[in-house]
Amino acid sequence: MRRFLTTLGLAFSSLIEHPMRSFLTSLGVIIGVGSVFAVLAIGEGSSRQLMEQANSVSTRTMTVYQDWGRQSGRSSQARPRKPFVESDVEEFRAIPGVIAASGQVGRNVSAVSETADWNSTLTGIDTDYLAANDLTMQRGRAINYVDLDQRATVALIGQTIARTLYRDQDPIGQRIKVNNIPFEIVGIVNSSDQQNWRGQDPDDFILAPLTTARNRITGGNQYVSSHIESIKVVGGPDANLQRIQAEMDIILKRSRGINATETPDYRIFNFAANIAARGKTQQTITILLTAIGAICLLVGGVGVMNIMLVSVSERTREIGLRMAICAKKSDILIQILSEAIVLCFFGGVLGLLAGYSVSYLPFWGDDMTLVYAAQPALLAFGSSMLIGVVFGFLPAYHAAKLNPVEAFRHE
Amino acid sequence: MSNPIISCRNLTKIYKMGSTEVRALDDVSLDIEEADFVAIIGSSGSGKSSLMNMLGGLDKPTSGDVFIAGQDMRGLSSSALARFRNETIGFIFQQFQLLTKKSALKNVTLPLQYRRPRYAGQLERAQVCLDMVGLGDRSHHKPTELSGGQQQRVAIARALAGEPKVLLADEPTGALDSKTSVDIMRLMQELNRDGITIIVITHDEEVAAYANRVIEFRDGKIIADKRKEVAA
Repeated sequence: MRRFLTTLGLAFSSLIEHPMRSFLTSLGVIIGVGSVFAVLAIGEGSSRQLMEQANSVSTRTMTVYQDWGRQSGRSSQARPRKPFVESDVEEFRAIPGVIAASGQVGRNVSAVSETADWNSTLTGIDTDYLAANDLTMQRGRAINYVDLDQRATVALIGQTIARTLYRDQDPIGQRIKVNNIPFEIVGIVNSSDQQNWRGQDPDDFILAPLTTARNRITGGNQYVSSHIESIKVVGGPDANLQRIQAEMDIILKRSRGINATETPDYRIFNFAANIAARGKTQQTITILLTAIGAICLLVGGVGVMNIMLVSVSERTREIGLRMAICAKKSDILIQILSEAIVLCFFGGVLGLLAGYSVSYLPFWGDDMTLVYAAQPALLAFGSSMLIGVVFGFLPAYHAAKLNPVEAFRHE
Repeated sequence: MSNPIISCRNLTKIYKMGSTEVRALDDVSLDIEEADFVAIIGSSGSGKSSLMNMLGGLDKPTSGDVFIAGQDMRGLSSSALARFRNETIGFIFQQFQLLTKKSALKNVTLPLQYRRPRYAGQLERAQVCLDMVGLGDRSHHKPTELSGGQQQRVAIARALAGEPKVLLADEPTGALDSKTSVDIMRLMQELNRDGITIIVITHDEEVAAYANRVIEFRDGKIIADKRKEVAA
């Protein structure tokens, strides 16, 4: 061990004689290790982000909405524009694995309190709405079956409404006029941590019973009384979302009288499938970038080998002298090899630092996180050491097989 | 007379230069006594450098045997040979061959750095050797800060560091002016008086005059072997 340290010390002191050259030699290794480390951190960061998303309610959500655009080519009277109905929602709710199915209607409305007014949206909801949207009550009560049955003029409000319309007052029990129709506020919904994908304020909403909303705000439908504009279906954590989606498809086709061969007039949007596809793309990109980093590391190794060969031929006389007065072939071999290893060691350390400092660069957006872990660090560092051994061997062997007598004559 | 410390028997070395063979040493037999001061002279190409390489264990003869301190050089592997050189022979070269970026002290420790087990007190030993050659106060100078004669003294100190039995000097004054050469040869004489065997290879008769015995080579053969009358 002591001998090992002495050898490394000698190698280090010989490298420090040419600080600039040593640095430039290991630059390739620095860049290689740094990029492998940083790329793996980026990959790990984004895959963790995806995992978090994949476990949330929103990724287990499938949204059904109407897609009349797909009927292009049909004449307008071929089939009436048929809305979804409450029985669709009830059938979805009965599919095994579904934990919530919620139908809704909605409108942009003007909301007026006694002191202020505000443009917001009103959504008519059923009892599954909060669960289907990963929302919880902050205060008050939720909307229940009685409200739905009696078409009660009660409302839940989001944080933004509570703040803008009721500043210092307690909104619960207060009256809110939605498009001039008075509702009684019975509950406040907690702030949602979900980012609204349209960039809208996720807390700016008024919720009312579906039946009331249909009756008083959005108006009826000329064909059906229990119409619904869109449906959200949430699967359980272990549910097979693809199977649920297939069953939903069957239910809708039957309920809407669509043949298996016909183009449906609705669309089921499955967020999980979207995420899986994104995950795959990201994985491919990570593998690609890691491969580039590895190539860089390899090129760095060749650079180390090249400079070590130059340094060996530059020191031919010194090596000859060492062999003449003292050193064995193995001493010379170990000396040159350890110089290469020391170069790659420092290259590796600096590379890890460089890779780590990448996360402090200003161009990462909020949705980009770098997660550094020990494993990729060890991987990147280990491969730099391996490169040192592999690419140090040729120059070391070259030096060790020098003949001292001939090495001396070398000018 | 004591046993010879170096003994060559029918030593022949042939170098192949393309299709022609060069017979650098031709059936040379030679004994060198312990604590002797021998000069080997001859013009260039006479075979004296080849002999030096054989005696130093740097090269292997084509045929014949070399015994140094009773050890048959033929039987040693290259690493055993390196070890043997390290412990038995000190080398001094015409061009000094110092490591230019290391201090004089570090240069002198060089043979000790390769000792196994680790040689304790390397720096102290090196300082002692520098004192012996009269450079005790220059131990932290780099070779480039020293004169030629001082550099050769450092090289001699380095050769002494491993406490060798034999000092092999190849044209030790070849790169020095005549006054400095005298100093170096006097130093060698002093060392010889302390009991170390010295072999100097040279083409300079004046240098050879410091030796007790002068062996002259020509065309790979010994043509003269004169022993100086030792003043009693």
